[in-house]
Amino acid sequence: MSAPTVDAEVSALVYREAMLLDAKDWKSWLDLYLEDAVFWMPAWQSETATTSDPDNQLNLLYLRQRANLEDRVFRIESGDSFASVPLDRTAHIVSGVLVLGESNGEIEAAASWLCHVYGIRGAFTRGGRYDYLLRRTARGLRIARKKITMIDDKLEGPIDIYHV
Amino acid sequence: MQMRHKLASLIDDSDERFRVDRAVYFDPEVFEAELASLFEGGWIYLCHESQLRQTGAYVTATMGRQPVFIVRKKDGTLAGYINACSHRGAMLLPLQAGREAAFTCRFHGWMFNLDGRCIQIKNEDSGAYDLANPRAAFGLTPIGRIDSYRGFVFGSLREDVCPLADYLGPTRPWIDLMVDQSSQGLEVLPGSSTYVVRGNWKMQAENGVDGYHVSTVHRVFASTMANREAKLNLSGMQRTESGRLTGNVASGGFDFGNGHMAIWAQHTDPTRRPIYAQKDRLEREFTPAKVDWMINRGRNLFLFPNVLLMDNPSTQIRTIQPVSPDRAEVTVRCIAPVGESQAARSARLRKFEDFYLTTGMATTDDLAALEATHQGGLGRRARWNDMARGATAIVQGARNEDAAAIGCEPATSSHNWDHEIMYRGFYRNWLKRLMEQA
Repeated sequence: MSAPTVDAEVSALVYREAMLLDAKDWKSWLDLYLEDAVFWMPAWQSETATTSDPDNQLNLLYLRQRANLEDRVFRIESGDSFASVPLDRTAHIVSGVLVLGESNGEIEAAASWLCHVYGIRGAFTRGGRYDYLLRRTARGLRIARKKITMIDDKLEGPIDIYHV
Repeated sequence: MQMRHKLASLIDDSDERFRVDRAVYFDPEVFEAELASLFEGGWIYLCHESQLRQTGAYVTATMGRQPVFIVRKKDGTLAGYINACSHRGAMLLPLQAGREAAFTCRFHGWMFNLDGRCIQIKNEDSGAYDLANPRAAFGLTPIGRIDSYRGFVFGSLREDVCPLADYLGPTRPWIDLMVDQSSQGLEVLPGSSTYVVRGNWKMQAENGVDGYHVSTVHRVFASTMANREAKLNLSGMQRTESGRLTGNVASGGFDFGNGHMAIWAQHTDPTRRPIYAQKDRLEREFTPAKVDWMINRGRNLFLFPNVLLMDNPSTQIRTIQPVSPDRAEVTVRCIAPVGESQAARSARLRKFEDFYLTTGMATTDDLAALEATHQGGLGRRARWNDMARGATAIVQGARNEDAAAIGCEPATSSHNWDHEIMYRGFYRNWLKRLMEQA
């Protein structure tokens, strides 16, 4: 059997992340991220542009280390978060995975996403684009940066890391 | 008369208790009266002047149900107009914000200058108008009043309202506590978030100055932050001031009259706040009492009926737009002192994102709690919301020396933010305003 292509490797990782979020397998999900990973969802600053400078502009999520993703898991698992009891059910559909380039063991990739959410507020579908920076490690491909562009602007219901 | 009777029955303001009929959150007639009397019948918050720095810069907004826009004119003053072409009423400006030398209607091409005057009617000559100067008859319709206090812009669709300064009354020294953090004023930072509350707009107003919920709903935020800080060994501004979330600090609540309300709580460690870096300058410029209020006390101020100004570890403008009795849209913006250090600016944004968004770790829980009060309120057989906490602790007017030290005289106050005394002021004013037009 020949070695998997970069396209196949990247797709497998991106799909795996979506599956782990839907399965609420937080430990395995966190394991996909490098310790210094950035998890970023900009806010919109006009009808056409998101924010682009996290040090001077507002973001919906700007988590700069895996430890900050662990905060979210801590909160979800505490059972003490009003918005997280009960947790919503989610179904991520990730498509159009595209490898944009590879250099020095780092791979840039993009994909489009939809997440159908069902919970006590009813059903919503939100969507947008993922931009990934992936890094090759001894344990395989891992996420160094994930930028989530969510096209929805008037947000219904609480949104946590597993809703996007 | 029937409406007046209905309104009067909704508030139980007897001496020993203060109760609000949950119908205030559900009744369609009450909601219509609120839009007419409060949101279309008096001062409401519109925007911040930093969003309108240049000539021709505009933002669009909604006053009650009415679309408006606010623009910086050539003479440097602000004007507000109904956002509709004077011809056939097409919405003139479809974007949230922008900058134009003149406004062109996309429907029939009529043009208006920044003073609202019609400067072009397409094919005017062949229009067979029965008017000597048709353009003069077709200016944009201005809103009733527009004024600002230290950068915060307010408007009223009605003209016959009291001056803005009188309307804001004793909240002005509280607004000053925020504005004076920079000698160059405050600025709204790029990016905002709007979320939908599946509940009544007043639930958001109440939540913004609800000290009592903090130690239950936000206990998990405090424990999450404590966990983060221990794990990452964070220091200074990277840490979050969460001592005030878990109780056992000095705190208080204010009824400022006209429906304005506020709460505050002592910070256990003010060095974690971005403003702390400016302590020396503030101490040179202001009285010790004022600096104490600015640096050591987290503050949430509600200006009736539609805006919350929050000055805690981060700083926020939160506007409330009623949509229907069971739906409101809330927009949050980060506002920051002009010229603060990059470290302070970044820390302010990160603290904002941690707490104040429905993608964050606290407003998320507030939203879920608000929507739960809506759901529970549908149980109409249970009629009353109790707001009696603090009944025997109410301090009248100027007897609050803490407030007097910054030139601020509330209507009433309490030395505990767990008390719900400010809601008495909110609902008394609410009832008075609705009764005036019922």
